[in-house]
Amino acid sequence: MPVINRFADFHAEITGWRRDMHAHPELCFEETRTAALVEGLLRDFGVDQIKTGIGKTGVVGVIHGKTNTSGKVMGLRADMDALPIFEATGVEYASTVKGKMHACGHDGHTAMLLGAAKYLAETRNFDGTVVLIFQPAEEGGAGGLAMCRDGLMDEFGIQEVYGLHNMPNMPLGSFGIRPGGFFAAADEFTITVTGKGGHGALPHEAIDTTLVSAQIVIALQSIVSRNADPLNPLVVTVGSVQTESDAFNVIPQLCEMRGTVRSLDPDIRDMAENAVKRVVPATARAFGATASVDYRRGYPVTVNTPEQTEFAAKVAEKVAGSDNVNTQAPQRMGAEDFSYMLEERPGAYIILGTGPGAGVHHPEYNFNDEAIPAGCSYWAQLVETGMPAR
Amino acid sequence: MPHINRFADLHAEITAWRRDFHENPELMFDVQRTAGIVETKLKEFGCDTIKTGIGRTGVVAVIKGKTNKSGKVIGLRADMDALPIFEATGVDYKSKVAGKMHACGHDGHTAMLLGAAKYLAETRNFDGTAVVIFQPAEEGGGGGDEMVKDGMMDDFGIQEVYGMHNMPGYPVGHFAIRPGAFFAAADKFSIHVEGKGGHAAKPHDSIDTTLVASHIVVALQSIASRNADPLKSLVVSVTSFRTESDAYNVIPQHVELRGTVRTMDIGVQDMAEANITRVAEATAQAFGATARVDYERGYPVMVNSEKQTEFAVEVAKKVAGDGKVIADAAQIMGAEDFSYMLNARPGAYILVGNGDTPMCHHPAYNFDDEAIPAGCSYWATLVETAMPAA
Repeated sequence: MPVINRFADFHAEITGWRRDMHAHPELCFEETRTAALVEGLLRDFGVDQIKTGIGKTGVVGVIHGKTNTSGKVMGLRADMDALPIFEATGVEYASTVKGKMHACGHDGHTAMLLGAAKYLAETRNFDGTVVLIFQPAEEGGAGGLAMCRDGLMDEFGIQEVYGLHNMPNMPLGSFGIRPGGFFAAADEFTITVTGKGGHGALPHEAIDTTLVSAQIVIALQSIVSRNADPLNPLVVTVGSVQTESDAFNVIPQLCEMRGTVRSLDPDIRDMAENAVKRVVPATARAFGATASVDYRRGYPVTVNTPEQTEFAAKVAEKVAGSDNVNTQAPQRMGAEDFSYMLEERPGAYIILGTGPGAGVHHPEYNFNDEAIPAGCSYWAQLVETGMPAR
Repeated sequence: MPHINRFADLHAEITAWRRDFHENPELMFDVQRTAGIVETKLKEFGCDTIKTGIGRTGVVAVIKGKTNKSGKVIGLRADMDALPIFEATGVDYKSKVAGKMHACGHDGHTAMLLGAAKYLAETRNFDGTAVVIFQPAEEGGGGGDEMVKDGMMDDFGIQEVYGMHNMPGYPVGHFAIRPGAFFAAADKFSIHVEGKGGHAAKPHDSIDTTLVASHIVVALQSIASRNADPLKSLVVSVTSFRTESDAYNVIPQHVELRGTVRTMDIGVQDMAEANITRVAEATAQAFGATARVDYERGYPVMVNSEKQTEFAVEVAKKVAGDGKVIADAAQIMGAEDFSYMLNARPGAYILVGNGDTPMCHHPAYNFDDEAIPAGCSYWATLVETAMPAA
C-alpha cells in the first residue's frame, strides 16, 4: 500500500489550501496570513498544542499518538515563505501580489504537512509524539535558525527532525536522499584591497591595486586545486571585481571584490574560510598592499545523519517503491536553512520529484499538486513507522 | 643682460592679461573668449597677418622682422585651454566658472606669448619672420594636431617650431630641456573579456570571466618586464577592472579592463600595442574565453630635435644664466600635444620653472606671474638670436 488511501480523499482539500497560499505569497518573516491559516487549520484538526510566534512568525503544533510508551518525539518541518519574483505561470490561482511568488514550492510543503497533520490528528495511529514545524524565512532569512534560537528543540523535546523539498524534473512521486553532506554551505566574502593610488603613467609611485587584486583572484584558485581533498567538493568564486575608478589613467587606491564559497563538509568549509583569510592578506602583502576579508557564513552544510537517512529511505521506499528512491542522490551546491535544525538534532532531508517543469526560483515554476499524496504519505508513514502503534 | 628690460615695463600689463584669462577659463576647443582677446591684442600690437579659426578656435599671427634676408620662419606656440577642475587657490582673481580652472598654466603661456608678440611687433629687431601660434585643446583634445591638419605649417611656411611649459618644482625663471624624447606617448586601451556567465556555485558550467581577466592583468606585466628593452621606458597600467555584475553569487559574462600605455619610443609603442593584443587574446583563449582589445593611440612621443634643442639651451642660458638651465632634464611620463607640431617640423619644447607650487592639474596650482619676464625674454631672445638683425 504505497500511498495512504486517506490522502486520495484529502487531495482536493489540500490542493485548495496550496492554491490559496499560492495566490497569497508572503516573504521572509512576513508570513502572517500563512501562519494564521496554518494555526486555524491545526486548531480545526484538533491538534493537542499550538504555539505561534516561534522564530518571529513560525508555528508549531503537537499531536500525541494513541499511546506514548516509546517516549519518542519526532519533528516534521515545512517552510512557508515565498520569493520576490514576478510570477509568469498564467495559472488562475496565480499570485495576487505583484513581485511576490511561491516559486520554490513552499506552498506545497506547507499544504502537505498540513494534510499529514489532519490525517495524524484524526488517526493517531502511533506510539509517541509528533511535532509539526512550520518555519518562516527559509529563503535567505534563516527562519530555521530563528526557531532553534527560540528554543524549539528543547521546548518540545524533539529528538529527531525531518524535512522535505520538492524537486522539479525528478520523476513525479520519486524520492532522493543521501547520508552526509547533501546541500552545500553557502558563505559570502567581501575583499577590500588597498594599494596606493596614483597616475597611470607613474606606476613606481603607486602600488597597483588592480594588479594586486588580479593576483589575489588567481591565488584563491589554489584553495580548490591544491588545499581541498579532491574527493570533497568545494567552490570558491570571485564573482565581482570593482576598482573604485573606471578611468583609463588612474591607478585606483581601492578595489572591492565579492564572492561565494560553497562546501559540503564542515571541515572543508573551515579550511576554505581560513585559507581565504590567509591567501588574501598575504598576497596583498607580497605586493606591498593590504587586503581585508569580511567572511560571512551563510547557511551551513545540510548534513543528513546516517541512521535517520537510512530510516527515511526505508519509509520513502514504502511509499514510492524501492525503484523510485535514489539513496545516493547527487549532492547539491544550493543551500538549505534546514541545516540549522540538523545541527541541533539528528535527522534527514529528502527531496520529492514533481515531474517535468520549470526549475525552482523560475518565474514559470509551479508546485505540482499531483505530488501531494506522495508527500503526505511520506510524512504519515514516517511517523507510523518511526513510532509504530502498540 | 639676462631679461629684456622692456618686459619689466610690460610685466604688470601681461600679469593683468594672465589673471583675466585665469578668471575666465575655457575648455578644449571652446576657447572663444580667450581667442577673441588674443586676436584683438595681436591686432593692437600691429601684427602683419592674423588668422583665426585654425584648428577650430586656434589663432595665428605673423610678425615680420625689419628685414627678411634670412628667409627664416620660426613658429612659437602657446596653448589657451583650461581644465575641468574646481579651483581651490583662494586668489582674488580665481575662476568665475565653477568646475573650470586654469590648473596647467596655459593662462600664463598665452599671456607670455602675447607679451613677446607685443615686444616683437614693437621692436622688429630681427631678420626673418616670427609666427605666433595660439592653440586650443591641448588637454586631451589634440588641438595641436588639428592646427597642423588645417595646414598651418605650410600656410605660414614655418620651418622650426618651439614650445614652452611652466613646471612646478623648478625654481622660478630656471629652464629645463632635453634632446630626443621628452614627454611620453599616452595611449589607452579597453579589453573586453567574454567568458560564460553562470551561477557562482556551478563553476564547471561557466567560463569564469573574472579569473580570465585576472590572468590577463597579470600576464600583461610581462610586456614591461620581459618584452621591452630595459633601457627604454614603458608603462602598461591596467587601471580599471569592472565585472558587469557586482553580485556575490554570479559569474559574470563580461569584464571590461581599461588602461594606459606610456612610451618614449615609437618602436616600443608599436611593440606594446601588438603584445597587449596578443597577450589578452591568447590568455583568454587559454581559458576558453575570448578577449577583444580596443587600442587607441593618444598623443605621440614628444621628440625634441637635436639641433633646435641645443639652440634653445643657448637661448635659455642667455636669459637665465648658465647655472639656471638644465640641458638633460629627466623625461616626463605625461603627454603633450606639441608632439604633433614636432612631428611636422624640427623644434624644441622647454620647461620654465614655476617654483615650489602644487603640481599642474592640482586644484591649488597657480601659474607664478614672476616667471613672466623669463618666459617672455626666452621667446624674444629666441627670435632675435635665431634671426639676428641684419
